[in-house]
Amino acid sequence: MTAYIIRRLWQMIPTLLGVMLLVFVIFNMVGGDPAYVLAGKISNQEQIDNIRKQLGVDQPYHVQLGIFAKQVVTGDFGASWSTNEKISNILGTRLGPSLMVLVPLLFLETLLAIAFALAVAYVRGSLTDRAVMIVCTAGMSISILVYIIVFQYWLAYKLGWFPVQGWGNGFWENLFVYSSLPILIGLVVSIAPNLRLYRTFVLDEINQDYVRTARAKGLSDNTILWTHVLRNASIPIITHVMAGLPGLLVGAFLIERFFSIPGIGREVILAVERSDFPVVKAITIYVAVATMVANLLADLMYKAVDPRVQLK
Amino acid sequence: MKRTGCWGAVVRTALALGLTAVAAVAGAADMNKVLRISFNAGETGFDPIRVTDTYSNGVTEQIYEPLLTYDYLARPARLTPMTAAAMPQVTDNGKTWLIRLKKGIVFQADPAFKGKKRELTVNDYIYAFKRLMDPKVRSPWQFVLEKKIIGLDELADQARKSGAFDYDAKVAGLEVLDSHSLRIRLNDTDYNFGYILAMPATSAQAREVVDAYEDSNAHPVGTGPYVLKKWVRGSKIILEANPDYRQQVWDFQSGADPEDKKLVAEMKGKKIPQIGVVDISIMEEGQSRWLAFQDGQLDYLNIPQEYTPKALVGDKLAPDLAKQGLRLQRVIDPDLTYTAFNIKDPVVGGFTKERVALRRAIVMAFDTDEEIKVVRRGQAIAARTPIPPGVVGYNPKYQTAFKFDPALANRLLDQVGYKKGPDGMRLQPDGKPLLLRMATETNAIDRDFNELWKKSMDRIGIRIEFVPQKFSDNYRAAKACQLMVWGQAWIADYPDGENFMQLLYGPNTGQSNNGCYQSAAFDKLFAAAKKLPDSPERNKLYDQMSRQMEVDAAWRLGVHRIRNQIIRPEVKGFKKHPVLLYEVKYLDVAR
Repeated sequence: MTAYIIRRLWQMIPTLLGVMLLVFVIFNMVGGDPAYVLAGKISNQEQIDNIRKQLGVDQPYHVQLGIFAKQVVTGDFGASWSTNEKISNILGTRLGPSLMVLVPLLFLETLLAIAFALAVAYVRGSLTDRAVMIVCTAGMSISILVYIIVFQYWLAYKLGWFPVQGWGNGFWENLFVYSSLPILIGLVVSIAPNLRLYRTFVLDEINQDYVRTARAKGLSDNTILWTHVLRNASIPIITHVMAGLPGLLVGAFLIERFFSIPGIGREVILAVERSDFPVVKAITIYVAVATMVANLLADLMYKAVDPRVQLK
Repeated sequence: MKRTGCWGAVVRTALALGLTAVAAVAGAADMNKVLRISFNAGETGFDPIRVTDTYSNGVTEQIYEPLLTYDYLARPARLTPMTAAAMPQVTDNGKTWLIRLKKGIVFQADPAFKGKKRELTVNDYIYAFKRLMDPKVRSPWQFVLEKKIIGLDELADQARKSGAFDYDAKVAGLEVLDSHSLRIRLNDTDYNFGYILAMPATSAQAREVVDAYEDSNAHPVGTGPYVLKKWVRGSKIILEANPDYRQQVWDFQSGADPEDKKLVAEMKGKKIPQIGVVDISIMEEGQSRWLAFQDGQLDYLNIPQEYTPKALVGDKLAPDLAKQGLRLQRVIDPDLTYTAFNIKDPVVGGFTKERVALRRAIVMAFDTDEEIKVVRRGQAIAARTPIPPGVVGYNPKYQTAFKFDPALANRLLDQVGYKKGPDGMRLQPDGKPLLLRMATETNAIDRDFNELWKKSMDRIGIRIEFVPQKFSDNYRAAKACQLMVWGQAWIADYPDGENFMQLLYGPNTGQSNNGCYQSAAFDKLFAAAKKLPDSPERNKLYDQMSRQMEVDAAWRLGVHRIRNQIIRPEVKGFKKHPVLLYEVKYLDVAR
């Protein structure tokens, strides 16, 4: 196991180098020249050259790439070009609000989707199953923007069940007051596709011989579903959940904008709009690392839930 | 009661209770009075020399003070002293400006002052001017002082060579007569220099504060009426009344606007500021701002454009809103949208009869009224000259030479040889295909404009292609005279026509003249106007410049946008100023 983990960690290095190269090439090709934005309304070439020099974008590409590599190794990406705020501070202060919404959301959506998937798979082919599938398909067809606009208007403004927008000072206030509606919207949006997906995972298992054998042995449906079927269906579910984990680092842009949540999603979009390369670089690298770590964790979890899995 | 209402009440009460304790030291301001407003976008920082966005500057305007400011009620906007004891004495044909500071003004308390009161002196302005020109600071406002003050550019040049700005060096054009008197000598006549002295970027800064902190954006310390109490970047800004703020009394004179009298009656004699706490929330979405206002979370709001059909009936507030006692203030922003033709472009540029006719035809084929109705949702007026209403030099009687007239545009093109090909689209006089390449971006409003432009060009049989790029790429290409046609906007830095006319001044090509318009006639008029103070003679020159631009069809003039402010009845003293960004210090709340 240890050897496997070390090998996987080593394999991350070339992947990270590839990501770095890709980010660097893409940004330099389509990222725009930040000096023209930073120079203000009226500027001359001398001022623009001065800004480019200070930002280091006048250096040859190989030098810039070398600086980027050093930043990745040290984890110090410097400061934002547009606000002068340290990147570490941006990540440190914006990740919290994003995670405050996304972690409970991920937890709830996974639990609920699994429970509902097992339930509808159990009554597969029935009117209930078909009705749930139709509702899910309809739900998936509607954009998250519509959910946000409608829920914010009706549930928050008209009915007053939630704050229209805002972010408070305390952890519990933010979690239970300001994050509730964003989490609810996230649940409504994500539960339908997850439920459909997990249902297919469960259905793949429910027709297996071992289920028939368990029934023949007299095990209750609950035991069969929650113990045997769920355990076997959990590998694709783990794959799906772990693949979504790195997304936590980029936040939920639309939800953050509409509910004025000072999260990382807004920061990412702003950074792209402002050609703020240090911020884009840092977040891309962290997401890449998170993706690789999540993949590794997923592999280890396969082994934990299914002893037949061999880590090689 | 709504849950949000409960929470709002709890938070307000807690805030009020917590702040009562310090009310006694806050001078005029009542710390129980909280004004709640919103910003449409996140701020970038609070160093007045480094920030350019409206929101950041809206905050720096409350914390820092320039030498001059604007009379709150006078329209068109009129300069008045801020930290200066009186208006500057301008002599030597606008080349010498003598300024005397009010005595006893102190900076907000800060650890950098080591517990001592720090009095404002003219050296704090000199430091700010030098810092603005320091290449290392890379201030986006450098242009406001560039080539203006004798010796300052030379100091900046030295810094470029040596890598360090000598802040202790004397500048010939900045003569300290005593700690409260400064004589500024300019390279050339500039009667608009007073406007520069009223910009947030030229506010006084204490050198010891800038030196003490690594991030100047995060530690604003000025002499203004408010101090930065709390800052959650991109989310919340709390300002509190500056307990050391000097005694200032609300004493503005009523203007021609009948609403002014009511406002003066409400506010006259009150000390500035009245409001103890300003609570600013960043709300980027129009729906969030609108619902938050409707929910009572905001005290006034610039109505989001998508909500104007709901909020307004014509130019009046919708009856359901008016019934709630809400007020509406509509003001024309001192801005201009325009489409610049690249005068150096081989297809649309130049001054030959054919090219000028082509540009005129394009101008006449575009229906600005449709733009206002469809794209601007009625919240704009058509521009007749580059100078917006409310800006010095604006002439309401000026009549534009080219009105929407596609038939005339078609006849003009036929006449000068832009014949239609077999597909009904026009060719250049030499028979080559005619294709208009318009630079654009990828926002929703750009797509609306593209549709309108396509429709307009179809009217006169001109093929048009849209080239979407990031703003910074378009901007770079425009500065290098590489775009054929590009729509832009300009918001006044100061309320004088010169700030708009400079966009057409030949020597500004590569800086702000993004159409690369080079007209000897226009440049001569501009140079002549620069030599004159505000006067009928100078206004006449502005009219002639407008006409010259139209004759050459250098631009298609767009619109001046309308700002609709909706205000709660509790807010007293509100009048949207055309130049000041936020009027917070002149307001009161009756709660």
